[in-house]
Amino acid sequence: MGGLIGVWAVELGLFVLVVAALLAERPIAVGLTVAAIALLLVAVQTSVRVWGWMATSFRTHRAAALGGAATLALALPFFLRASPYWTFVATMALLYVTIGQGLNLQMGTAGVINLAGAAFAGLGGYTVGLLTVRLGFAPWLAFAIGPLVAMVVGALLFIPILKVRGHYLALVTIAFGFIFNILMNNLEFTGGPQGIKNIPTLRLFGHAFTTAPTLFGVTLPSHANFYYAALAMAALVTWLAWRLYNSWVGLTLNTLRDDEIAAKCSGVSVTRHKLLAFSIGNLFVGLAGGFYAVMVGFVSPPDFDFGYSLVMLSVIILGGLDSIPGVVLGACLLIPLPERFRMLHEYRLLLYGAAIVLMLLFRPRGLWPAGVRRYGLGRPAGSFGAAGTRAEGVGVSR
Amino acid sequence: MPPLEVILQQAFNGLMLGVMYALIAVGFTLFFGVLDVIHFSHGDIFTLGAFAGLSLTFLWGAVGLGNPAVALLLTFLGALLLTGLIGVGAERACVKPLAKAPPLMTLLATLSLGLVIREAILIFYPRGADPKPFPAMLPQGLWEIGGVVIRYENLVILAIGAGAMVLVDLIINRTRVGASMRAVAQDAEAAQMMGVNLNRTVDFTFFLGSALAAVAGILNGLYYSEIHFIMGIMGGVIGFSAAAIGGLGNVYGAILGGLLFGVLQTLAAAFIPRGSEFRDVVAFAVVMVFMVFKPTGILGEKTIERV
Repeated sequence: MGGLIGVWAVELGLFVLVVAALLAERPIAVGLTVAAIALLLVAVQTSVRVWGWMATSFRTHRAAALGGAATLALALPFFLRASPYWTFVATMALLYVTIGQGLNLQMGTAGVINLAGAAFAGLGGYTVGLLTVRLGFAPWLAFAIGPLVAMVVGALLFIPILKVRGHYLALVTIAFGFIFNILMNNLEFTGGPQGIKNIPTLRLFGHAFTTAPTLFGVTLPSHANFYYAALAMAALVTWLAWRLYNSWVGLTLNTLRDDEIAAKCSGVSVTRHKLLAFSIGNLFVGLAGGFYAVMVGFVSPPDFDFGYSLVMLSVIILGGLDSIPGVVLGACLLIPLPERFRMLHEYRLLLYGAAIVLMLLFRPRGLWPAGVRRYGLGRPAGSFGAAGTRAEGVGVSR
Repeated sequence: MPPLEVILQQAFNGLMLGVMYALIAVGFTLFFGVLDVIHFSHGDIFTLGAFAGLSLTFLWGAVGLGNPAVALLLTFLGALLLTGLIGVGAERACVKPLAKAPPLMTLLATLSLGLVIREAILIFYPRGADPKPFPAMLPQGLWEIGGVVIRYENLVILAIGAGAMVLVDLIINRTRVGASMRAVAQDAEAAQMMGVNLNRTVDFTFFLGSALAAVAGILNGLYYSEIHFIMGIMGGVIGFSAAAIGGLGNVYGAILGGLLFGVLQTLAAAFIPRGSEFRDVVAFAVVMVFMVFKPTGILGEKTIERV
C-alpha cells in the first residue's frame, strides 16, 4: 500500500513542479523550479536505494502509475487555463510524441533510416489542407486520408529502394525531404511559399474545436480541445507502438535491425517487415502532420523543412532509440524547454545538435534506455502479458 | 527544345557547378574509403571553408595587402589550413569515438555536428542570417564564342578546381601518406600490421577532405559572389549524391559524379519549363533512379556481403 501511495506522491510532486515551472513569471522562479526538478532527478538517480525503491514500486503498481499519469495529463489544461500559449506548447509536445513513436518504430526498432520526418508530416498536413480547402472534403474525412497519403507515398518511395541500405537510405530520404519542400514551394496548387490558409477546424458532436470548452463549470482556452484530442491520439499511438514492440513483429524488426543476414537466414522476410515498419511509422508521422494542419489552420513549406526532421530525430535520440517511454520523455523535454527559456530560443537548434552529439558519445542509449527483452522466465509481476513481455526500462538497465 | 547555344552555355555552367560538387564529393568518398563512414557534417565544413575564406579577405583588407594574386593565394592557404584542422577536430570528436558503434550512430552524430556548425555560424558570425557578399578576387572580362559566354573568372575557377583534383590524385598515388591511405582503405588491420600509423592516416584523410571542401567553399563564393550559412545542407547532400553516383570510395567516381550532377542540374534548368526552380528535383530524382538500378555507382565495385 505504501508503494502505491508513494508512486502517486512522486507523480503528483513532479506534476506540481512542472506546472509551477511552466507558469512561473519571473525568470528566477523559472530557474529555481527547473533547477529543483533537475536536482531531484539527479539525486534520485544517484541514490541506489531511492532509485531501487522507485523502480520496484513503479513496476509493481504499473496500472496505478499509468492511471495516475493519465489523470494528471487530463488535469493539465485546468492548471494551464490562464495561458492558452502553454496549452498549445503542451499540445505540440503531444504531437511530437506521436511523431516520435512513428520514427522510433522505423529507426529505433527496425533500423530503417528516415531523415525526412518533416516531409512525411508535411504530406499529412498538406493533404488535409488541399482536400478541405481546394476540394471541399469534410475535415474529418481529410484528416483520415492525410496519414494514409503519407503512408502510401512512403511505401511507393520505399519499394524501389529496398535494396538500398544504410547510408544510401539516409541519402534517399534526405533527397526526398528536399524534393517535397521544393515542390511545395513552387507548385501552383499547393499555394507556393504562402502555403494553404484557412483550413477548417474539426467538429465533434456539433462542438467546433475553436470554441472554448467548459468542463465541470470551468472555461478552458479553446486550445484545450486540441490538447485533449492530441492526448487521445498520442496515447493511442503509444499504445499501438507498445503492442507492436511487444509482439512478434517488434521482435522480428529488432532482429533485422541487429543483423539482417541472420534474420534472413532465420526465415524473416526482410522486405515485408521493413516496409511494414516504414509504413506504420509514416502513418503515425502523417497523422501528427494532419493534426497540426487542422490545429493551426495553416500549412506552409517552412513548417516542414529539414530542420524539423532533425528536431524529430533529437526527440528519439534524447529519449533513447527503441525506447517507447523514452520517446514520451524526449518529446516532453525537448519541445517545452526552449519555449520556457525564451532567451535560449535563438540557440535552440544549436543546443539540440550539441545535446544529440553528447548523448551519442556518452549515453548512446538515451535518457530512458530501452529495456532488455525477457522471455521464458515467467511473467514479471504486473507486466502486460503478451508473447513478448518486456521488462520496464527503469531499473533493469542499470 | 532550346537553341544549341543555350544548351552549350548551360553545359558550361554545369561544368562550373560540377567542379565544386566534385571537390565536396571527393571528401565524402575519401572518408568512406578509409573509415567506411559517411561524414554528414562535411557540407557544413564546406560552408565553414567559405566563411573562413571570407573572413581572411577582410583580414587582408585590414592589413592592407595590395596584390590581389597574393591575397587570393593566402586566402586559399589560410582557409585550407583552418578548415582542414576543423575537419580533423570533427573526426576526433564525432567519428573516431563511434568507430565501433553501429553506423547509424556515426550518421546521427555527424548530422547533428553539422547542425551545430551551421547554427554556430548563424549565431556567432556577425549578422550570420544574411547572405554575405563575397569579394570578386578574380580577373573580370569575358569571351564570346558562338553565343556562349565564357568569363575569365570562370576559367580561373575551373583551373583551380582541376588543379586541386590533380594535386589530390598525386597525393594519393605518389606519396607515402597516400600509400598508407590506400592501404588503410583496403584493410585497416593489415595496414597497421605493416607499420601504417592508423590514427595519423585517418587524421590526414580528414584534413585533406576538409581542405578540399574549403576550396569548394571559396570557389562557390567566387562564383556566386555570395555565401550563406545554410548552403552547406544542399552542398552536403549534393556532394554525397555525387559521391554515391560515382561509387563511394572511388575518387575518380566522385569527380565524375560531381560533374554529372552539375551538368544534370543546369540542363534540367534549360530543358524544363520553370526548370530553374525544379532543377534540384530532377537531379535528385535521377540520383534516386541511380540508387535503384546501380546502387554501387558508376565506378563502384560490386560488394559481396559478409555472412
